[in-house]
Amino acid sequence: MSRILNHPIFGKINDRKQVSFQFDGKTYEAYENETIAAALLANDVRKLRVHEDSGTPRGFYCNIGHCMECRVTVNGQSNTRACLTVVQQDMVVESGKLLPNIIRRMVEEQ
Amino acid sequence: MTNFENMVICRCEEVTYGQLLSTAAEHKCTARELKLRTRAGMGFCGGRTCRVSVDKIIESVSPDITPGDIPLKYQPPVRPVTFGTVGEKK
Amino acid sequence: MSDVIIIGAGPAGLAGAIACAENGLRVTVVDEFIKPGGRLLGQLHQEPSGDWWNGIKEAERLHQNAMNLSVDIRCGVSVYNLEKCSQNWNVHTSIGTLTAPFVLIATGAAEYPVPVPGWTLPGVMSIGAAQVMTNVHRVQVGKKGIIIGANILAFAILNELQLAGINVERIVLPEKNPNSQKAGEPEEVLKSLLHASHLAPSPLLRFGSKFMKKDWIRKMGINFYPKNGIKINGTPLQLRKAALEVIGKDQVEGVRIADTDANGKVIPGTEKIYEADFVCIAGGLYPLAELAAVTGCPFHYVPELGGHVPSHSETMETPLDGLFVAGNITGIESGKIAMAQGITAGLSIAKHAGKGKNNINNKLQQAVQNIRTVRQNAAIQFNPDIDRGRSKMKQIWEDQHNNNNQTQEKIG
Repeated sequence: MSRILNHPIFGKINDRKQVSFQFDGKTYEAYENETIAAALLANDVRKLRVHEDSGTPRGFYCNIGHCMECRVTVNGQSNTRACLTVVQQDMVVESGKLLPNIIRRMVEEQ
Repeated sequence: MTNFENMVICRCEEVTYGQLLSTAAEHKCTARELKLRTRAGMGFCGGRTCRVSVDKIIESVSPDITPGDIPLKYQPPVRPVTFGTVGEKK
Repeated sequence: MSDVIIIGAGPAGLAGAIACAENGLRVTVVDEFIKPGGRLLGQLHQEPSGDWWNGIKEAERLHQNAMNLSVDIRCGVSVYNLEKCSQNWNVHTSIGTLTAPFVLIATGAAEYPVPVPGWTLPGVMSIGAAQVMTNVHRVQVGKKGIIIGANILAFAILNELQLAGINVERIVLPEKNPNSQKAGEPEEVLKSLLHASHLAPSPLLRFGSKFMKKDWIRKMGINFYPKNGIKINGTPLQLRKAALEVIGKDQVEGVRIADTDANGKVIPGTEKIYEADFVCIAGGLYPLAELAAVTGCPFHYVPELGGHVPSHSETMETPLDGLFVAGNITGIESGKIAMAQGITAGLSIAKHAGKGKNNINNKLQQAVQNIRTVRQNAAIQFNPDIDRGRSKMKQIWEDQHNNNNQTQEKIG
């Protein structure tokens, strides 16, 4: 999705510094002070993780830190909210992945 | 046809409307028991998104509950924190 | 150490911080978001005067005032617990425990969820999420959107999305079920919208109220409501259509929608899939009071205020010593009310702390009066029965103080 650079009331935004970061191994451009969720959406990335058990795709839902749906791994720190974390140059972001469900596997193998 | 039964109420634990309704009807649960039986509201967000919906289901199946009560207790931590943060040392 | 810790850097929290600091108290404000301002940051609407209410500017002004008074503002900090320990409150945060004799909880509101089948797909978001993405982060939420849920908040944010050039194709209702309740009943929704526009002819609703004030709509009622809706600034409001399911594989691709009767019952054979790449769910707001709840503060259910609210006086005290509340945690109202309440809470804290000399009582009474004045002149009214809700709370508080055998509802 594109950024709203021109707004009839808020005016223009320009002169913002660009930073680059990685999401699942791919490099993306963001602007300084942009959250991970905003920067990824601006790059057309909506899917931030899959449900750890069922694998269903998830993106940000509330965008203000309540719902925890946008949690990603940031520089090795898991369960970080993409909607409240500002992108830094060379940040390494990983999407939330499917986790092994040992108990389910045991039940299935029986 | 609608997809009600399979509609997810608790997003974190993927508990559906159908599961909640049948559990509530079968066990005539309190909100707390419904939560413990289904895991609704016990996922990562701590029920921040689904609490209101779970409360409504309880109201719809238990006639004794008035909307004035807060059926589910709030407990700390109200935000997810790491063990490191909780176990801070000064 | 601070004298006061304020949780939430929105209009109530910042105004409270300023009032405290002006009276010589040392104040720390914490907020989870990346910058101060709270929900002010998203707000943008035209006043009856024609001037724009630009929440970002208001937030900057409050922030600057607070900074000038040496208020310590810390963003990106989450509070996960709050407890009283002898004379002090311990505020447990992601950066450690902060301690002070006074705490002001100004955590604002959260959105009522309206679960819809398929709502976990990326691209489905709460309407507030779209507001923040558009006005704060300045990123388009999509090319073609559908709003599910028709209420004041939805209209306000629809207007903001339109201003930013985002295409919202239609507003429909959630399918009627025990969870969506009245929000899924066209007749009830129309009634509440007419009620709102009647009592508060707000400029926020100008596009909406234009149609709501048309007498013929009033008279014909929902039975003859046009099937394709009535346009609100270009976006059709389709009260006789319900969203059955959001569809898509890895993200939103469309919404399955059907026509309904006046009660919200789906008319068989009318289902159709409408393409969309984003969906906003608008369920309205409720007071976000979890931190007050963990302290053991008593709560009351006041539907006119948006749900369960912590017991509080007109001067923003709670029954717990040193604990104050302000803003939407006390009831859903506009940012201007939140500011007026924040000032009141700040003065109230100053009074309890023995600051402000002998004119503090006067100031406090003026501040309480000012809340009423702001309410009377409000352009936005989320709940048309707000006055009744506020009187209820006032009565409950007074009864409790006159009678210790009160029947108060404790959580848990």
